[in-house]
Amino acid sequence: MEDFFNNIKESFTNAVLEFETINIKVDSTQWIETHEQLRDEFNLKFFSWLSAVDWDNDVSVGEAPKESVTPCFELITCLSDVENTNLITVSTTIDKSEPHIDSLVEIYEGANWHEREAYEMFGISFANHPNLEKLYLPDGYEGNPMLKSFELISREVKPWPGDVDVEGMPEDSESGEPVDG
Amino acid sequence: MVNALDPQNIKNFSEASVSVEIETEDMTLNIGPQHPSTHGVLRLVAKVDGEKVHDVKPVLGYMHRGYEKLAEVRTYPQITTLVNRIDWVAGFSNEIPFIAGAERLMEIEVPDRAKYIRLILTEMARISSHFVFNGAYALEVGALTPIFYAMEDRERVLDLIESVTGGRFHPNFNRIGGVKPAAGAGPTTKKNIQDLPAGFYRDTKIAMQKVIEAADQFQNLIGGNEVFKKRTKDVGVLTPEIAEAFGVSGPILRASGVKSDLRTQTDYLPYDQFEYEIPVGENGDCYDRWDVRVKEMVESAKIVLQAIDSMPSGPLQAKVPKVIKVPKGRTYVRAENPKGEMGYYIISDGGLGPYRLKVRTASFSNISILPNLLEGALLPDLIAIMGSLDFVLGDVDR
Repeated sequence: MEDFFNNIKESFTNAVLEFETINIKVDSTQWIETHEQLRDEFNLKFFSWLSAVDWDNDVSVGEAPKESVTPCFELITCLSDVENTNLITVSTTIDKSEPHIDSLVEIYEGANWHEREAYEMFGISFANHPNLEKLYLPDGYEGNPMLKSFELISREVKPWPGDVDVEGMPEDSESGEPVDG
Repeated sequence: MVNALDPQNIKNFSEASVSVEIETEDMTLNIGPQHPSTHGVLRLVAKVDGEKVHDVKPVLGYMHRGYEKLAEVRTYPQITTLVNRIDWVAGFSNEIPFIAGAERLMEIEVPDRAKYIRLILTEMARISSHFVFNGAYALEVGALTPIFYAMEDRERVLDLIESVTGGRFHPNFNRIGGVKPAAGAGPTTKKNIQDLPAGFYRDTKIAMQKVIEAADQFQNLIGGNEVFKKRTKDVGVLTPEIAEAFGVSGPILRASGVKSDLRTQTDYLPYDQFEYEIPVGENGDCYDRWDVRVKEMVESAKIVLQAIDSMPSGPLQAKVPKVIKVPKGRTYVRAENPKGEMGYYIISDGGLGPYRLKVRTASFSNISILPNLLEGALLPDLIAIMGSLDFVLGDVDR
C-alpha cells in the first residue's frame, strides 16, 4: 500500500492516503486521461464502481452537512488491481448547472451501467455514452431520486420512525459516555 | 398460372432443391421478470434468430429499494439492518464491510474473539450461498435431484447461524466495535455477557465435516454427470481481460484463471491466520464457475474448522460511545463475499448517519457482462450461462 502510494504520488502530487484509501482529485477536463493513465501505467484494470455525491447545504431529507459546502456534484470512481492490494479512488467535481462529463465506457466497458445509474439518480449526463438511458427507474419517471433536494413524499406526512432510537431511552440520562457492550 | 394439383408439377416441386439460405427475421423473446432461473425479478429482452441469440438487453429495477437513499436518513447502527437484505442468500456477509468501514473511521480496534466469530459466520454464509447455487444451478440445467440434497445440507449450516445470531437469513448480528451478545445463550443482562451457545463447537465440527462430504457428493452427482458436462463445458467462456474491465469479481473471476481473493489481499478479517487454498479455473466456462464454487465450499469449511480450534477468548465488544457518531472522513472497505467484491464507500461528515453511502455489490457488476457473454450463444445455453453467474436480484438492484 505504501509503495503504491509513493508511486502514485510521483504522478499525482495531490494524492492523499486517508483511512487506508488513496484518493486523487482531478479536474473534470482530465477525467479521461487520468483513467487511461491509471489503467495503462499503474495496471489498475479492474473497474470497481462509479458513483456521484450531491453536495448541497439545502437538503430536504437527512441532515445538512455540518460545515458549509460549495454546491456541486462530486463524481467518484474506484479502480483496483485484482492481483494485489492496490486500490485507488479518483474524484472530480462538476458544476450543478452544467452536469456534463465525458463517458469512461471507451476505457472501462464496465462503466456503462454505473454511468446510467448516475444519470438517472443525479441527472449527470455522460458525453459519448453508447446507451444513456434509465437503468432502474421506470419510463416516464420524473426527477432524480438521489439528489439531496428530492423529497420523499411519505416522509412529509410521517417523520422517520427511526428518529426515536437516536434520542436515547428515557432512563439513560448520561448518553454519550462509553459503556461496556 | 401453375396448377399445383397437376401430378407433373407436384413432381417438379418435390425435386426442386433449395439452394438459398433461409433468412428469418429476428424474434424478440421476453424472458422474465418472473422466470424462475432469474433468481428474482430480472427481465431479459433477447433478440433471437432461430436458436441463436443476437442481442440481450437486461432490464433492471424490479427489486430496487433505494438503500443508498435510505442510508442517508438512518443512523449507523440502523443501517446494518438494511444491508442484511442486499444479498439475502448470504445476509451475514453484507454487514461485514459496512461495519468495518464505520470502525475504521472511528478508529476502533475490534477484539479478536469478535473478529473470529465474524469470520466463522461469514464463511458459513459463503457455504450456504454456494449450497443454494449448487442446487439451483443443477436445476436450471435440468437436474432435479441435487437441490434436495443441497437444501437439506444448507439447513445444517443455517441452524448454526441461527443458534448464534437468532436469524437464519438476516442475522443483524454485527455491532460497531464487535458482535451482539449471542442469542443462543440465554437472556442478556449487563453483568452476564453472553457468548456462543452451548455445543456450538461440537455442532460446527459435525456440520463442516458434512459440508466437505456434500461437496464431494456434488462432484460426483453433478460434476460427474455427462449431461451436465456437455451443457457447461466450453459454454459462456469469459476472458480475464473482459472480466476485469467490467468489474467482474469473486468465483467468476477466479474461474477465468485470475488468482484474486480479497480475503488474502485485504485485512478486514484475520484470514492470514489460516491455511487454505484459492481454487482457480482454467477455461472460464460455466463448468469452471461451478467447479470453483464447489471447491470453495471445502476451503471455507476448512477455515471454519481451523478457527474453531484456535478461537481466542476475550470480550465480544470494544468500548464504544453509547451514541455512535462517526468522525468526518471517507473510506472504502471491500470484502470477498460469496458472489464477489462487496464494498461500502462511506462519506461521513461527523453526524449520526453517513452523508452518502455508496454500496458496491458483486452481482451488479457480474451480470453487466450478460449482453457480452450471451451474444451469439444458443438459446438453450442462455439459462446455463445466466445461472452460472450466481446472482441475486437484491444484490443487483440494492
